[in-house]
Amino acid sequence: MPLLQLEGVSKKFGQVVVAEEITFQLDQGAAVGIVGPNGAGKTSLFGMISGDIRQDSGRILFEDQSVGSMTAAVRCRMGMGRTYQVPHPFERMTVFENALLAAQQGAQAHGQKSYDLAFAALERTGLAELANRPAGSLGLLHRKRLEMARALATGPKLLLLDEIAGGLTDPEVNELIVIIRGLRDDGIAVLWIEHVVRALLSTVDRLLCLASGRLVADGPPSEVLASEEVRKVYLGGKIINEAAI
Amino acid sequence: MTPVDSHGLISIRRSTHSPVITMVGAAVLVGLLSAAPWIVSQSLASILMNFFILVIMATMWNLLAGYAGMVSIGQQAFVGLGAYATLYLAIKGMNPFVTIPLAAAACGIIALPITYLLFRLRGGYFSIATWVIADTAMLIIGTIALLGGGTGHLVPGLSNLSPTALTDAEYLATWIVALLVVAGTYFLLRSRVGLVLASLRDNEVAARSAGVRVTSARRMVFVIAAAGCGAAGAVLAISQPFVQPGNEFNLQWSAEMLFVSMIGGLGTIEGPILGSIVFFVLQQSLQQQGAWYLIIFGALAMAVAIWQPRGLWGAFRDRFHMELMPVGHWVRETKRPK
Ligand SMILES: Nc1ncnc2c1ncn2[C@@H]1O[C@H](COP(=O)(O)OP(=O)(O)O)[C@@H](O)[C@H]1O
Ligand SMILES: [Mg+2]
Repeated sequence: MPLLQLEGVSKKFGQVVVAEEITFQLDQGAAVGIVGPNGAGKTSLFGMISGDIRQDSGRILFEDQSVGSMTAAVRCRMGMGRTYQVPHPFERMTVFENALLAAQQGAQAHGQKSYDLAFAALERTGLAELANRPAGSLGLLHRKRLEMARALATGPKLLLLDEIAGGLTDPEVNELIVIIRGLRDDGIAVLWIEHVVRALLSTVDRLLCLASGRLVADGPPSEVLASEEVRKVYLGGKIINEAAI
Repeated sequence: MTPVDSHGLISIRRSTHSPVITMVGAAVLVGLLSAAPWIVSQSLASILMNFFILVIMATMWNLLAGYAGMVSIGQQAFVGLGAYATLYLAIKGMNPFVTIPLAAAACGIIALPITYLLFRLRGGYFSIATWVIADTAMLIIGTIALLGGGTGHLVPGLSNLSPTALTDAEYLATWIVALLVVAGTYFLLRSRVGLVLASLRDNEVAARSAGVRVTSARRMVFVIAAAGCGAAGAVLAISQPFVQPGNEFNLQWSAEMLFVSMIGGLGTIEGPILGSIVFFVLQQSLQQQGAWYLIIFGALAMAVAIWQPRGLWGAFRDRFHMELMPVGHWVRETKRPK
């Protein structure tokens, strides 16, 4: 049974097509990357999967259940954890409380179990030392990690990572890669939007390319990056430049 | 508080400092305020009563707007309905003091179906709809002859107490309701629900995707706030004790709740209480100057909104790093796993 299935998912914002007949499947424990130029509809795709926005047509199934009419909270409790491209910390709560909320609501853990789950998520993402800091005082790197810690504390089967490496330095990206590979090795499926192609290539075994809401390529990373459609989308070579970062 | 059971990796403390000082302080304060009718002048006791009513309302408004993001300007609907529930039950022969919890419950029950209507609206439309609902409630109540129609009605059943015994009883009723509302809010915010409300306050989108059932949480808050404002209306009816639609359903109640919570600091328990203190101190010290206290209060509200969006309590807490009513979770010790 595939973990996630999209069948002909389409969505427009007014005249802007953000998704057009998108169809793909994701297996349990798979690690899949998504690339595509800005405005391609990548974040919107995550929004439709996680329930932040509703598709106009098409079906989304999670563990063979149609989730189209479910709220984001219910989908989270079913096992979808997501991070936001622009971090959304609970600023007036501590780092620990950010993760604790996710453990108590997303994973529906209680008492000491919820504390342990939250703290484990912080340790995993390298935030344990900052547990008592207000989340609003964190810099970008730690905000990105907090996004991941919170998603992890919900006990996900599927992790949706939206440009989690964007804006980070090389060594920071390397640390992040180690964390994400660890999660993948633990059997959590990862769907990862990223411009830092180098980071993707080190972790995923399949790549999707989106352009203007259409899925223009889907396959092994090397084939996708070499394909005619993807090169056209990136106007000859931009993707290679980014790969060299 | 004592660390929670720590079989796991860590233990959690609920406050950064020893709670003993806070608890002793709270006990002294509760003792003093409980004995106030016998140790302070009657005029001061009556000011305190009005203060308590404002604290109840502001605390409820803070839950609504400060935490759950619902800017209601129609809470006078529940103040009024609470007052009229007390009036109705008193007319039916019940002891007015006994009606207080019933009035609160009635308001909570009435609020529940209203949420299904209101929650279709967002932002300014939500706010205006709350006001419309309050005015509608006032108009409907004003047509009921049994309750005195538009001219109002005296709450019966209070004349069998001597005047002093009556004022003392009114004081105690108001004080107990305020104490229950503030303590209840404190324990609510310390609970799992409190973390949910804090997450809504900080970022609703992230709350949803972290598994928070936002609409249910909002619904619960709306019902609680209605019940709290209903209780405030009930004690208001008893202390006035003439109940009139134009008084109890007055928009001014919502205006005061809003000002006081904003000045004190939204999204904290202490803020609305501090705001209420500021309001009454200004009102009392400037009462010879007519409406000046309102003008100064309005200017203060604007100044706070511009320069100190977290309110006076927020500024105080940022500077002194202390909480009177701690609700946080502090990771205390970490036994590293081998
Ligand atoms: N809520 C929205 N309302 C209107 N337009 C939107 C909204 N969200 C995204 N868009 C538009 O949809 C397009 C795709 O956006 P997005 O999914 O964020 O792309 P990506 O993540 O691939 O950069 C963009 O043109 C963007 O301006
Ligand atoms: Mg994006």
